[in-house]
Amino acid sequence: MRSFLSFALLPALIACAHAGPDYHERLLLRPLPQDALLASFNFRSNETAAAYEQQNFGLFPRSLGQILQHAHTKELHLRFSVGRWDADSWGQRPWYGAREGSNGVELWAWIEAGSDDEAFARWLTLVNNLSGLFCASLNFIDATKTIRPVVSFDPEGDHADTSNLHLLHGILPHEVVCTENLTPFLKLLPCKGKAGISSLLDGHKLFDAAFQTMAIDVRPVCGTSGRQCVVEMEQTVDMVLDIARSKRPRDDPIPRPRPIEDIECDTSKSYNAPDTCYPLDKKTEPAWKLTDVFGKPLRGACPLTAAEGPESETLCINAPPERTIHVNTTGQYTESLSASDTLRCYKLPTGTELDLVLPEQRMTTGLVRGQPHLYAARSINGHGQERGSVQAVIRNPSPTDAVEFTYLESLPWFMKPYLHTLRAHVSASDEDPLKETYYRPAVDRIRGTHLELRLVIPPASTLILTYDFEKAILRYTEYPPDANRGFDAPPAVIRILGPFQSADRKGMYLRTTPLLLSLPTPDFSMPYNVIILTSTVMALGFGNIFNLLARRFVGADEVPAAGGLKGIIQAKIQSVRTRFGRA
Amino acid sequence: MALLATLLALRKDARILKIPPYLSAFLILVGVAWLLVLPLKEYSRGTYVSENALLPGQVHTYFTGSEHNVFRAYRHEVAGLVDLPVQQRTERLSELLRASNLKVATQKYTYTPSGRNISDENVYAILQGPRADATEAIVLMASLKTMAGEHNYSGVALVLALARYFKRWSLWSKDIIFLVSGDSTSGPQAWVDAYHDAHDPATIESLSIKSGALQGAVGVEYPAGPWGHRYDKLHIVYDGTNGQLPNLDLFNTAVNIASGQMGIGCTLQRMWHHRNSYQERLQTMLRGMLSQGLGHATGPHSAFIPYHVDAITLVTVGDGWHDEMGLGRTVESLFRSLNNLLEHLHQSFFFYLLLEAKRFVSIGTYLPSAMLIAANFSIMAIALWVQSGRPQETIPNPAAAKPAPKSVTQDAAKDPDHKEKEQEQEVEEEPLEPPPVIVTKDGATAIIPAALLQVSERPLFLPAAFVVTAHFLGLIPLAAFNHIPVANLYPSFLLAANLTALLPLATAYLLSRFTRPTPQESTLIHCFSLLFLGMYLSALATLNFSQSLMVGLLTAPLSFVRRSSGSRAAAKLQFALLAAINPVMVVYGATYVGKIELLDVLVKAAEGWHVWGMWTQVVVWLVWWPAWFSGSVVVALGLF
Repeated sequence: MRSFLSFALLPALIACAHAGPDYHERLLLRPLPQDALLASFNFRSNETAAAYEQQNFGLFPRSLGQILQHAHTKELHLRFSVGRWDADSWGQRPWYGAREGSNGVELWAWIEAGSDDEAFARWLTLVNNLSGLFCASLNFIDATKTIRPVVSFDPEGDHADTSNLHLLHGILPHEVVCTENLTPFLKLLPCKGKAGISSLLDGHKLFDAAFQTMAIDVRPVCGTSGRQCVVEMEQTVDMVLDIARSKRPRDDPIPRPRPIEDIECDTSKSYNAPDTCYPLDKKTEPAWKLTDVFGKPLRGACPLTAAEGPESETLCINAPPERTIHVNTTGQYTESLSASDTLRCYKLPTGTELDLVLPEQRMTTGLVRGQPHLYAARSINGHGQERGSVQAVIRNPSPTDAVEFTYLESLPWFMKPYLHTLRAHVSASDEDPLKETYYRPAVDRIRGTHLELRLVIPPASTLILTYDFEKAILRYTEYPPDANRGFDAPPAVIRILGPFQSADRKGMYLRTTPLLLSLPTPDFSMPYNVIILTSTVMALGFGNIFNLLARRFVGADEVPAAGGLKGIIQAKIQSVRTRFGRA
Repeated sequence: MALLATLLALRKDARILKIPPYLSAFLILVGVAWLLVLPLKEYSRGTYVSENALLPGQVHTYFTGSEHNVFRAYRHEVAGLVDLPVQQRTERLSELLRASNLKVATQKYTYTPSGRNISDENVYAILQGPRADATEAIVLMASLKTMAGEHNYSGVALVLALARYFKRWSLWSKDIIFLVSGDSTSGPQAWVDAYHDAHDPATIESLSIKSGALQGAVGVEYPAGPWGHRYDKLHIVYDGTNGQLPNLDLFNTAVNIASGQMGIGCTLQRMWHHRNSYQERLQTMLRGMLSQGLGHATGPHSAFIPYHVDAITLVTVGDGWHDEMGLGRTVESLFRSLNNLLEHLHQSFFFYLLLEAKRFVSIGTYLPSAMLIAANFSIMAIALWVQSGRPQETIPNPAAAKPAPKSVTQDAAKDPDHKEKEQEQEVEEEPLEPPPVIVTKDGATAIIPAALLQVSERPLFLPAAFVVTAHFLGLIPLAAFNHIPVANLYPSFLLAANLTALLPLATAYLLSRFTRPTPQESTLIHCFSLLFLGMYLSALATLNFSQSLMVGLLTAPLSFVRRSSGSRAAAKLQFALLAAINPVMVVYGATYVGKIELLDVLVKAAEGWHVWGMWTQVVVWLVWWPAWFSGSVVVALGLF
């Protein structure tokens, strides 16, 4: 029997927002192929809109709440991401990509303002404040990195009046996400990483993951009646751990070759010998336990979570029913099975540690992984320092459904696309897949390019989107440190519009990898060489000319008598002599 | 002022025209001597690693233990698959790489240079750096056949074993691409072309998976069979196509790690025993220059360098005590260093001549030598231009009591035409000297020979048309040799050799039928051709120093040949000299001396043109050949 759990179930598992202030958290563990483990942490806290307006923050973090109020931000989405989601092996993205960001930092927000300029001023306030709060260089999101997307993002929350809401969006592709961003992230949680599932979050393991994304989403949610609004803050961490790598102890993380006795050799090979070993793939699920892969024990439940009901089960693991799972704890816990026994959820004991222990096991059944609706890869073609072209290859694996999606590019101003070279070409059909184009050209040093396309890709076909671009020559001072690395162009954001719909308003997204753009880079020592050379020439030239102008050259015989003491004495003697001579 | 006036006066002096040939010869001598001085310790420098991020040899390497057992198994696997059909071989290689949890893809390619069919399949796998964002990648590659044509068993096995080993590390900041190419030069070329989308999709398959910008590439050639072979040294091959070189930092890192960390000696340019004497340093340099000057691909790394991806190939040589794990650890350490890079390699030199593994000469030191040789042509071109503007007769000294009779040894050549002679005789019957002109200015009076005041016009059309035509003629052999099928290449070469030898004679004979060009025009032809040559070579020296120097030296006699006016013997002698250094003869002689099959050279040249993007033929047929042809015609005119 093959069991199946779609990620669509997940939002349903986490019950809808209540009217009052409350706090929920849940960790879903899901083994992935190639000995990987997906850990999806979800933390959600609510506060009534009325209390929020009165700055009566209960479970909502005050530090963030005040920033949002100060910047008139009604809805906020902030992402910190590292690594790539390997869709070929791992299948559908967690939350359908809605809680995923582009590599580095991505931020978009709906800001209440009367005019565009006011909205931008408040946006700057917001990014500068968030920059301080999250120890990230968010303040580098300036006008050149800010765009106002048209169709790629819709508000997730319930906004009473959307006419004066402005959507602003910015990406920092080369921002290195690390522990200094995790600490403020954890501090926003009510249990602050001391208890509950957040006690598993450890910088060493989180940032050693093959893929990790941290998300913060703040939105107003209203009941069906339109009253009883709450401000909901959702914090999400999705990480894909390599089990073998995570199990290595922190004091010895070096993957030394294993002793030959531990390696299973293929003895059927003719050349098999004591010194020759063709390694066999074990084909078993690896053994692991929570303490090993997260490097920290799970310190019981966060006391703020619900005590009863499905909300209280904060640790879930999605594994085939035959998978053996031992629970190792001294406290009280409960286990419940759902989704045809493929989902096991645990209510954590309070105050005592809990560990899940999974032994090595040969499996006969597996989980069906949801297939992504689209695959996307983007690369820079061509070489040289003058121009290049971008190629995005988007594949629709579905044999029956045509997929409609938007494609958003936010390019830095020094990467100047030629829109007339934009070609969308589908391998199978002659129909133009390009339905709509939103384009706002770049202005040098003022703003970047904003390109948004609506495309349709027929079933089981590949769409190749290409456009050429020209590289600008920057001013000497506009180069960052490590200029020869190149410049990062942010990832493209793809939003699937149809026919697939997510159950909620979050939407379905995927993002490509960023691009590395090599611009013509000067030899930075050259200006100094020039300065030194010209200074030398100046010194020589100036010295000579100054001498010519300021000095008077006379013949040796024209020089008056030598000065100094000797001259004075000689003059005296002379004058005395003449006096005597006359006398 | 007095000095200036003296100089200006000197400008008019006929003696000044006698200087350029000596100056040219002097420049050539200095150029050659300059080159010979370079290997001296005082004029070369020790290599050093400029890029601080590289930190060569600063990490422990762990590629030992059970990895050795796995390596041996992979070597057996590779030995079992090299003789399989391409399809099965690819499948097996993909399977081996897929077993290490890598993303595997293949690429078919077909090239048809000179009617041959070069088709094979590349297999490559991408190790996605755990924390990388697909913006940068480094390449580790091995071709199934080495440059020498042997099976690269251990090299391929090492790539497979390292792929399995590298996958376990979490520290990679860049993606690592493992490439097993079908053959040593066209396979990597097809791959790297397709990676940058610079390929012809009709014959070369596009890559289905890609990573970020390539930051470096390392090739491994270790042709030891399934039972292994211990080697003595690592031969580091670094020449790229068209004489482009990888950043010196990459080479230094490899040398530093191999010799410093692993204790494996490094050698270069096939100098197996380098005792660091002057002769050996010179020999290393000259071999490097020869390889650079020919501009051919020297290994799997060569294809990468034109795309500004620094690349080298490590080749094991000799019998010694170093084993495959030593090479594996060298590659591991090298990749750890490349992984450290924050920026593209740019700190160190891209133009250098290596004298031994740890000594080099940088461009500032060696460039003058090729430039001096190129300058000699420009100087002669200017001299010939000035000469062509002078009156063809010598001006007798007006102060002499009796004007000298018209000199028989004057520079202007007598046309062999009979009619011309009669005319000249008629001229001689007339009064010998046009009356001097008396010029009065500011109260001073001067008597000036009329000849000095004569304006001698330069007829430019014929010389310019001739030189341009000569350059366009070069397109014919260029196109022919790149497209003729292999079977006809050798006969075509013989035909080209004969035609090249006879064409100047035939052209000179035909031209002389029309009493053209006049001596003045032939001087101008010579002048233009040298002018072009000088400009081309000085430009080329900045791109491919060695090629410029080689062509410059081989064409040096063109500066000194003249249309002989008097003796035919002199003309014959000059022509024989030029015939000996014609480009086709030089190629033939070089293959004879180097004991290489001429056909191989021609086949490789065509392959270079179609596959590698090699430009050497362009220089030979469009720079060297036209210059030689123009010079030869000028000399041959003296024969008729």
